[in-house]
Amino acid sequence: MKFIFDWLDDRSGYRNLLHEVLYEKVPGGARWRYVWGSCLTFAFFTQVVTGTLLWMFYSPSAQTAWESVYFLQYQVWGGWFLRGVHHYMAQAMIVLLVLHLMQVVIDGAYRAPRELNFWFGALMMGVTLALSLTGYLLPWDQKGYWATAVATNLMAEVPWVGPALQKVVVGGVEYGHHTLTRFFALHAGVLPAMLVGLVVVHIYLFRKHGIHVKEPRPKKDSYFWPDQILKDAIACLAILLAVVGLTLYFRGAPLGPPADPANEFPARPEWYFLFLFQLLKYVPAFWGAVIIPAFLGLWIFMQPFIGTTKSGHQLNIGFWWSLIAGSVALTLMAFSEDRENLRHTAAIEEANWQAERVLSIVDEQGIPPAGAVTLLRNDRENRARNLFASHCSSCHRYNGHDGRGYPVDDVQSAPELAGFASVDWVTRLLTHKHYVSEEYFGGTAFKNGTMARKVLAKYTPEETDLLPQIARLLSDQADLPYQEALDDEEHEELMALFYNDDADFQDGLACIDCHDIDSEGDGYAPDLTGYGSNEWTVAFIQNPEDARFYGEDNDRMPCYAKDAKLSDEEIQILSDWIRSKPAE
Amino acid sequence: MSDHEPEYSGRRKFIRVATLGASAACGIFPLASGLPALLDPIKKEGKKGDDRWSKVASLASLPNDGAPVKFEVIQEKVVDAWTTYKDVPVGAVYLTRKANDVVAFNLKCPHLGCVIDYRKQSNDYCCPCHNSSFGLDGSITTQNSPSPRPMDTMETKVEDGFVWIRFQHFRPNIPEKIPLT
Repeated sequence: MKFIFDWLDDRSGYRNLLHEVLYEKVPGGARWRYVWGSCLTFAFFTQVVTGTLLWMFYSPSAQTAWESVYFLQYQVWGGWFLRGVHHYMAQAMIVLLVLHLMQVVIDGAYRAPRELNFWFGALMMGVTLALSLTGYLLPWDQKGYWATAVATNLMAEVPWVGPALQKVVVGGVEYGHHTLTRFFALHAGVLPAMLVGLVVVHIYLFRKHGIHVKEPRPKKDSYFWPDQILKDAIACLAILLAVVGLTLYFRGAPLGPPADPANEFPARPEWYFLFLFQLLKYVPAFWGAVIIPAFLGLWIFMQPFIGTTKSGHQLNIGFWWSLIAGSVALTLMAFSEDRENLRHTAAIEEANWQAERVLSIVDEQGIPPAGAVTLLRNDRENRARNLFASHCSSCHRYNGHDGRGYPVDDVQSAPELAGFASVDWVTRLLTHKHYVSEEYFGGTAFKNGTMARKVLAKYTPEETDLLPQIARLLSDQADLPYQEALDDEEHEELMALFYNDDADFQDGLACIDCHDIDSEGDGYAPDLTGYGSNEWTVAFIQNPEDARFYGEDNDRMPCYAKDAKLSDEEIQILSDWIRSKPAE
Repeated sequence: MSDHEPEYSGRRKFIRVATLGASAACGIFPLASGLPALLDPIKKEGKKGDDRWSKVASLASLPNDGAPVKFEVIQEKVVDAWTTYKDVPVGAVYLTRKANDVVAFNLKCPHLGCVIDYRKQSNDYCCPCHNSSFGLDGSITTQNSPSPRPMDTMETKVEDGFVWIRFQHFRPNIPEKIPLT
């Protein structure tokens, strides 16, 4: 064995090199405050290795990016873990960057003769942030897509070359295949290569000038190996454990629904860019894209010169602490505003629903060559929720929202439709206080109609107790998939009540006097034959002004088919969805 | 000094071992975190069984004299990693008819997977890559044939006048015919 090492050393001189690397003097002994540079190197090394492994699974195109990430996350053995480590180590890198920067600033390690190395460090910080930004888009999910759209639009703010620069980075005007291929080339090729080059120069310059010692020196001098390396390795292990812990806790990195330019999503960057996002609420985009980065660049360039005096050094420290405090405050504000914004919360829940939905469809059908986004676009439930939100929710509600979970600003002026035609829903409908409330017809002319004033309002408590029976009969007509049908005997009994055969309703009036229920053409009020069934619901949405329903008494309900507002297919999708599940 | 030496040495030794251990853990971790994913293809097996039957041609389209005809094999559903394709060609076969029976040969040479040609003039098969040649029954006709086994046949059946085959690929360059899974 020794012979082999000797042979190798003769030809490469590796022992000298190793000695040079390991026996760097550490003045004042090994200290924890020196670990951050090594931790960052470890984090970058992890990203290069895990990134290369991820590369083996990733396919950058608009029809395959999300799909290949989905495959890795859910179909590949341990794929979620690999992705999670890369994702959380990227975030750890940002934290480590700040810690390293602050150690350098506080210790004054940016001052002569280390100015150049400080500037290289700042460049590395910029490249790392660019790596985060480009990596965020690659899964091609809603979150990455919309956040990157904002980031690249900011690019257009750069004077003169902005729009051209944006086009070059995006690969055209629209986001698509070329956006992904370019971002991927940047993320996996250009930027890491730049970072490797910068790391080499950074370490060379670091070695040239040695460790900047923070006085007073706590101990006598020692060497990099093993004292400082032990501290470095322990810190790296702690980071490793934190990243593994986060990966296990969150079961890997999140994957939202596939990117869809037609499906809105509240664009938010990753947490470490949130301060900038929040700042753009108060200052013009030009500030975010040009003035602030230019000012930061200038400050970083000037910092070694500002810091030559004690007060200048204090100013530098104050500047960075203020910047961090401001960023933390803006980040907290962004979180807090989002938490209080009901529409934002609903949008996140909707995205989570879509993410789960697309997974269940993929399990069932697989992913077609056109991509997973088409699964969601063609999904009847997703379409129904969107159709309800677009065409129904300005008057109706579904579980109190617009069908997708979003709160609605307009006042509710038509019935709540979750659990439509179920026994519970009809029972409440037949109760006077609900009938005239906003939940049903409180916002319509029917609030003061015959049914409300002359029928429901006049029932005695004994008669009111019979209404759930009528509700059972009506709901049975709907043939809802989640309710059991009445048996013949029960049906007969309830029909007798509908006809008031035993004069249970004391005023002698029977439901049948106004409402037909057996297609015999009785009554002037809405025909309840097959009430709530698919056929009834479709026909009602198609034309509520038909004599079978409201006729001339219709109060603002649009005739969706007659007026060509919805296609027959869309009406069928809505009917299926409204009848598919009970209210929450 | 001599009293402290062993303790001191022991401590230094511990520091060195601990440093090496922690450094090794950090060095191995990135690759280890992706090793299961990297080795995933070994863990996964291809689909087996009768679900791979494909309808290839009508029996009437095959000449009665046993001359081979080349057909694409189209499978109803093919899953390639994340994408599910429908009705896509997955390979090709030569079919030869013997009365109401049909023999199907995989187009891939059992040597190294080049595509075998049918030579009308000599009425045999030949692999243009390394010159393996095969008779109409698929048997080896070259001396010192590069191909270690005859052409690969696949299960066939005739139903309602149509030829169905169970399309498979086999491990190349071994004497035994072992399906790839």
